[in-house]
Amino acid sequence: MENYTVKDLMVPLMEYATVSEGATLYDAVMALEKAQEEFDHNKYQHRAVLILDKKNHVIGKISQLDVLRAIEPRNEQTNEIDDIARFGFSERFIHTMQEQHRLKGTFMKNSLESAKKIKVITCMQSPSEGEYIDENTSLDTAIHQLVMGTHLSLLVTRGNDIVGILRLSDVFAAVFHAMKQSEKKE
Amino acid sequence: MKELEKLYDRIIQRVNINLRELEFDVKPYVWTLTPPEQMSKFYAFYGISPDHPLSLQFQHSGLAGSYFLGRCRVTNSLLYKSDIRGDELKKKGDIFQYRIFKIPVAKDEEIDIKDSALIKTLVHNYSHDPETPEKFFIRDTVSTHYANIHGSPTEGCFLGPFATADLTTVHDCVIGAFSYVQAKEISHLNIKPGTIWVRSPGQFNFLYRYPAEGLNQYIYFTAGNQPQGVLIDFMEDRKEAFQRIFDVINIEPSIKVPASASLDRYAVIKPATKISENVLVSQRAYLQNSFLGRGANAQENCFIINSNLEGYNVTAHGAKIIEADMGQNVFVGFNSFLRGRPNCRLTIGKESIVMPHTIVDIRKPLSIPPGSLLWGLIRDENELETNSLPIHTFSKIENKFSKGNLFFEGNGANFISAFQNRIQHILEANGAFFDGTKNKGHAQQNQNISFNTIQPYPKGDLKGLYPNIIIQP
Repeated sequence: MENYTVKDLMVPLMEYATVSEGATLYDAVMALEKAQEEFDHNKYQHRAVLILDKKNHVIGKISQLDVLRAIEPRNEQTNEIDDIARFGFSERFIHTMQEQHRLKGTFMKNSLESAKKIKVITCMQSPSEGEYIDENTSLDTAIHQLVMGTHLSLLVTRGNDIVGILRLSDVFAAVFHAMKQSEKKE
Repeated sequence: MKELEKLYDRIIQRVNINLRELEFDVKPYVWTLTPPEQMSKFYAFYGISPDHPLSLQFQHSGLAGSYFLGRCRVTNSLLYKSDIRGDELKKKGDIFQYRIFKIPVAKDEEIDIKDSALIKTLVHNYSHDPETPEKFFIRDTVSTHYANIHGSPTEGCFLGPFATADLTTVHDCVIGAFSYVQAKEISHLNIKPGTIWVRSPGQFNFLYRYPAEGLNQYIYFTAGNQPQGVLIDFMEDRKEAFQRIFDVINIEPSIKVPASASLDRYAVIKPATKISENVLVSQRAYLQNSFLGRGANAQENCFIINSNLEGYNVTAHGAKIIEADMGQNVFVGFNSFLRGRPNCRLTIGKESIVMPHTIVDIRKPLSIPPGSLLWGLIRDENELETNSLPIHTFSKIENKFSKGNLFFEGNGANFISAFQNRIQHILEANGAFFDGTKNKGHAQQNQNISFNTIQPYPKGDLKGLYPNIIIQP
């Protein structure tokens, strides 16, 4: 494992779920499902969709969390709860308020339909500086970058191009495999 | 005048830099509030007494109509009709208790105001920040009409009209009009107008927010405009009465003052007011046709009109009581506005606690039972039902509680006892329990204050600014 570099573990861009910048959230979810069906190298499935501009450059990423965030209904009450959360109340207190609000019947029901039409560009995350990594970087450095930034994946670069994704799950699998191997040797 | 305008610009820029994360621009809020000409119209003044330390340093500042007592340093700042009351600062050798730490105070504490503009603001108490026990700092801060900075070091803040920061270190925050914050330490928050927030981490958290449409009638403040509403009108209607007492150099009390009571010469007293033993009436207080029983007090910017206070009543900074009968030991928190009418009086039973920034404004008689806790907006019986609770009931809250716009988490008994302990401390500090020899407080110590005035440059580039001055014993 010590000789691994990022490119040994990355998923090539062409195997990853991608959509264009004009796509909707529904398109993104469908692209993710399709990529998961086609990508069966290991048991860890894709968890994000990359957004490409007209020149096929990666301009953002939508994670499963972003999708859930987008379908969460937003209204005066949810904004109020979010606002109250700034004032130092416990998570449990805020969850109780959310649950009471949900029981009033507004949660999710109406939001799925409207969420499908949301443009991905409005809810994607633009990658930060710490989310890029060169393909020849050692695995040790990649692990450090994932841990320090608490990232679920990194965009792998070759020169100015993005050529793949380094997923936390693949790095974890490699580390886990190496641990098992060393245990057997002992 | 040129220098004063440059200073104003500099202060605004510094505050805006601190508030850039909140994308808040203070300039449109404050530019119209104090036209530069006003800064040269009024003298500043300070108190000297054998009971208070004296160390005042003014540098490159405007101080129009402001009052200073104790140890205070003002640098590159503009103060307009503000009270900087340093009579509760820590003294060298005191021990400041903060959680498990007993912090020795190495030198006399000082209020240090720098690069700030304070408009009609009260600064009082002492720094509750364990990191700066000897310095109560106010830096890069703008505060507006009738704001209170009470025991709250502030840095990079904007306080709207009638806002209060109480016992809280505040970094880079906007505190909206009529909001009250007592939360130990806060940073990078934009707090909406009418937010009442009392938090002691691990103990309790009390949050009430005024309905906007209700609050706007009382105080409404938008960029580019003067603050408006019932509270501002109320103050404006009584402005002239203060003008006279500030214009006259020697003024005799218009009523008989017991030997153990203190009536500040900068308070307005209208007939037929009576004050009892151990009463404290602070400057800029306004009393009219009212009775203050033994040990009651009326702090800065308080108005008590056609009312009876039975005794040991705390009427905190900026509170207003009109056409009301208050039982013994009723506490009325900062900036509260309690208004009965001539034929429909407001009665509040003994030992009740009116939370800071409460509005009770009635058009039918309203009687509030003894031992009640009141908060928020109360205009009739229905709103009283929503925004009050017997203290003994509130004390039974063990986990969480919500009612109307109130959210409470934590232990109700701890919350109540924190208030009751503080009320007791205020009464003690004010000298309410003075027995002729022991338990002296402000009511007894403030009798021996003389006032000196200082003046700004009347013309030229420095018009409105004061010369650099050091005043020491």
